[in-house]
Amino acid sequence: MSRRLWTVAFLSVPLLAYTTIVIVPLVTSFYYSLTDWNGFSAQYHWVGFANFARIASDPLFANAIKNTAIWMAAAIVVPTAAGLALALVLHRGVRGAKLFKSLFYLPICLALAVVGQVWIWIYRPDWGLLDLVLRDIGFSNVAIAWLADSTTALGAIILAWSWQQTGLAMVIFLAGLTAVSRELTEAAEIDGASYGQSLRRVVIPLLSPATVVVVALSILNSLKSFDAVYVMTKGGPFHSSDTLAMFMYDVSFESYYMGYGSAISVVLFLVAMIVITFYFRQVRALEHLHE
Amino acid sequence: MSEGTPPPLPEVTPRRTEPTRRARHSPVARLFLYFFLIVFVCIYIAPVLGVILTAFKSNAEIASDGLWTLPRALRFDNFVEAWVSGHVRIYALNSVLVTIPATAISILFGILTGYVFSKLPFRGSEALFIFVIAGMFFPPQIVLIPLFRFFNVVDLYDTLWPMIIVHSAFGLSICTLIMRNFFTTIPTAMREAAIIDGAHELDILRRIMLPVSLAPLAVLATLQFTWIWNDFLYPIIFTKSDSMRTIMVGLITLKGQYSVAYGVQGAMAVIASIPTLLIFVFFQRYFISGLTLGAVKG
Repeated sequence: MSRRLWTVAFLSVPLLAYTTIVIVPLVTSFYYSLTDWNGFSAQYHWVGFANFARIASDPLFANAIKNTAIWMAAAIVVPTAAGLALALVLHRGVRGAKLFKSLFYLPICLALAVVGQVWIWIYRPDWGLLDLVLRDIGFSNVAIAWLADSTTALGAIILAWSWQQTGLAMVIFLAGLTAVSRELTEAAEIDGASYGQSLRRVVIPLLSPATVVVVALSILNSLKSFDAVYVMTKGGPFHSSDTLAMFMYDVSFESYYMGYGSAISVVLFLVAMIVITFYFRQVRALEHLHE
Repeated sequence: MSEGTPPPLPEVTPRRTEPTRRARHSPVARLFLYFFLIVFVCIYIAPVLGVILTAFKSNAEIASDGLWTLPRALRFDNFVEAWVSGHVRIYALNSVLVTIPATAISILFGILTGYVFSKLPFRGSEALFIFVIAGMFFPPQIVLIPLFRFFNVVDLYDTLWPMIIVHSAFGLSICTLIMRNFFTTIPTAMREAAIIDGAHELDILRRIMLPVSLAPLAVLATLQFTWIWNDFLYPIIFTKSDSMRTIMVGLITLKGQYSVAYGVQGAMAVIASIPTLLIFVFFQRYFISGLTLGAVKG
């Protein structure tokens, strides 16, 4: 068999599967977004951009976009800052660093469905751990139902999600830190730089590739934030914790407005592609910088 | 963690050089450092411990002591209840039936495409490679509705097949990326020598490439297993009957049935997490390097 035949043989089945299950549906979603399909009937109509017009005027969509934006902003800041702090502390070397690392990694291997369930218990108003601790440290009358209150539900879910995401950020920062040569930081300290100065001027700039990765990942994962929302609140109360992914599910698989749901998924897809384009541009800029 | 998207990382490949050395800190700084760590340790231990402890308690014990205390005795009633009456054994079996084949198929696919993209390049193969790994960045929502229709049409809705098929296909991106990157590091001269000796490509792949590829294969096996096992989105879309639930969906639906039996809920969560926890404990090195190598799903 010639090299060409082997190439075809090796590629055909995987590429066929990928095209059928990923690419064709992707394109089909764009098509459905221009129809009023309801998920079941064989008949549906071409409605042009009506679904996108509806998106523009739907307060629930605006709400989901707003919540997703909040989530994204929190995702950029919270896991990144906490992960970086943990990585810096553990990289400097403390007793038992290995054990600490494992502990903070651990949530990564847990399902968000499990994480969500655990945090439901933490957020309970009666015996939830958070309210118990708050009562212990002096707020004796606190009994907040964090997930049932429309002002706190979204924040509570984001915090639970960040709990898992922080470990991920730490792993990436730790990997980035091993690439920061110790000579550089030592040289800075010999030159009289304080730890804070060498951090600001040497370590953090050298960590920028890792930072780009962490931020891009956080943004992408926040766009797909479905599991935790579904498990903890299903988007409620009163849509206060609806994200784009949750809203898309609701519209498509609870209400069966599949045409409209497709339009929402198209928006989600386009936002993800913008993030990715930005990410690769950053990566290229960084590579350029390091040459 | 149904949601998947691993961007290839730029230069943060972990190197196992430079063992961390304890830095000199002032006592105050050290105190602050440890305080910071201890706070974080509590935040990370409390939720996990709460679930585990609760799983061993009776309802009466939970009612009197709450969730966040040590159980008075180690009782396994909750686990038995969850496993037998709670149908967790059905859900767990379903998860195994989905996870094992989907993990194996996606890796097999990745081996084949990764080999072609690294050792048998052709005109346009670079573009094709990018086309394949682009799948990592697609939010899964973009394929849900057409696939929902597709699986209904081919009469696979409410079976385990949709999850096996979707994970095998979507997993191709990350598996291709990691296998191609690894095969690229194996000298091409080895392939050429084998060709001269009369070997064909499948021989080369099996006899030369795969025996030295245990590390990337372990990385992929741990990552894929974890992601597929933990997936929640696809089974919720593509199945509806109790007998087809995977463990994560079963866990959530059972929560209604056992809404006040927190012990059973805790036991279910523990059972559902055991496989990935075992992987974490025994293959942590591969898992972590997979995450940092180019692969992170949320």
